[in-house]
Amino acid sequence: MAAREEVVRRLQELLGEAALRPDEAYAQGVSWTVQAPAPSLPDVLRVFRDAGFYLESITGLDFKDTMEIVYHMNTYEPRSRMALRVLCPHDGEVPSATGLYDSALWQEREVWEFTGVRFSGHPDLRPLLLPEDMDERPLRKTFGTVHAYRKREEIYG
Amino acid sequence: MAEHFAEPVRQHLYSLNLGPQHPSTHGVLRILLTLDGEYIVEADPVIGYGHRGHEKMGENRTYLQFMPNTSRIDYLSGLLFNHGFCLAVEKLAGIEPPERARYIRVICAELNRISSHLLWFGTYLMDLGAFTPFLYCFDDRENILDILDRVSGSRLTYSYCRFGGVTRDIDDVFIEQTRAFVKRLRSRWKDYHNLVTKNVIFIHRTRDVGVIDKDLARRFGVTGPNLRAAGVPFDMRKVEPYEVYDRFDFQIPVGEKGDALDRYRVRLEEMEQSCRIIEQALDQLPDGPYRQERVRLKVKPPRGEVYFAFESARGLTAYYLVSDGSPYPYRCHVRVPSFGNLHCLTEVFRETLVADAISILGSIDIVVPEIDR
Repeated sequence: MAAREEVVRRLQELLGEAALRPDEAYAQGVSWTVQAPAPSLPDVLRVFRDAGFYLESITGLDFKDTMEIVYHMNTYEPRSRMALRVLCPHDGEVPSATGLYDSALWQEREVWEFTGVRFSGHPDLRPLLLPEDMDERPLRKTFGTVHAYRKREEIYG
Repeated sequence: MAEHFAEPVRQHLYSLNLGPQHPSTHGVLRILLTLDGEYIVEADPVIGYGHRGHEKMGENRTYLQFMPNTSRIDYLSGLLFNHGFCLAVEKLAGIEPPERARYIRVICAELNRISSHLLWFGTYLMDLGAFTPFLYCFDDRENILDILDRVSGSRLTYSYCRFGGVTRDIDDVFIEQTRAFVKRLRSRWKDYHNLVTKNVIFIHRTRDVGVIDKDLARRFGVTGPNLRAAGVPFDMRKVEPYEVYDRFDFQIPVGEKGDALDRYRVRLEEMEQSCRIIEQALDQLPDGPYRQERVRLKVKPPRGEVYFAFESARGLTAYYLVSDGSPYPYRCHVRVPSFGNLHCLTEVFRETLVADAISILGSIDIVVPEIDR
């Protein structure tokens, strides 16, 4: 548990107490949820890296009013997964995690090609799974058959 | 084969396409190799040939309609992916499956894990030039496919799990066949070890080849047997016990160095541990219903999200489901282990021989459609 407590303590100093939300029951599969502003992302990820966390997954969520990038961070201890959530506009950019985590090289390429969110500072932002000439963003809700396009507060509000 | 020259001379660099249609790439994987003689200077895997858009499909079909997709993401451990998806939705919607169903699922999932490892065993050794083990393990694997076929109706791409249970109950014949299979597999370990583990050619092709240590694994998010071979006892079945795994006595085998030989040993030992889980589950198997009858076909989970991680044959797999309260998921992300496992090879391949690259690629047990999704 040591790594998790360490990260929580340092992030509370960095972002303020209100940015972190605990989930003792582990109902969503994460122990803490961290809401961070995009510019602070490199500092936040550095805290994770120094404590020995690895970057498990990056997901892009498309809402009517905003995009959201969710980073799932984990370490090799029981129940220590943490979610890091960053909001950004549809045509926006978030700082790249590639300097801190090598796994971000591919995961960010995937998020970028599927949702259109750019990662500033990524050294090699080219399509990974999609063809090179693909100009659509398949996981945007404006592409293909979708059942609902909602605002963020309709789900998390 | 593992010795590296201290200072490679970069004189005649040339490119070589490994794949996309190559027997040792286990699917449609292309690796652009930059070579200096026989040594790899740089490797750039080109993936996405098998991209089918599972995550998008997840958004425009109901939770139950997505079930057949899950076993096609990783076709070698389809039942494990079924199982994980089922657990994710159950957690999101608050469905409680009956006890018997939980045990049935664990038994079938572990059988599937063994069949996946057996296939890896055969194909890996075939990559290294050994043909006979392939025939041995396919003979064993056939038993599992028959057992699972009888109960689920499919041999490879299962849709056996349902929210709140399974499609069909298991009977005495299933239990008998499974016990017989476990016994048979145990009697084969000796053959396997005599044939392969003690084989000097095999040892030379794997020892100190493709070392993935703890630090490298963490940087690239490597999980599963590849991480455990580096000495980290990280297995979702122990770390975040789901279903009824906390009721069984089993070990997490770990390696020391993280080379190909360690990865081989870990997987072989994992099959034995799966056998132990199956035996205990069969002993404890309770009576009762195998399915919760009150679950609606169109499951409507409440608004919210769940990130559910489980251990598939290749490592930590997770479904990240976001629900808006409708019968269709708002977002359905799948975290697959082979993604990180393959990515890490860009680093591992540096300064190795092409012949070793084939050995390393086989030893990490990738399933390319799982990466492409």
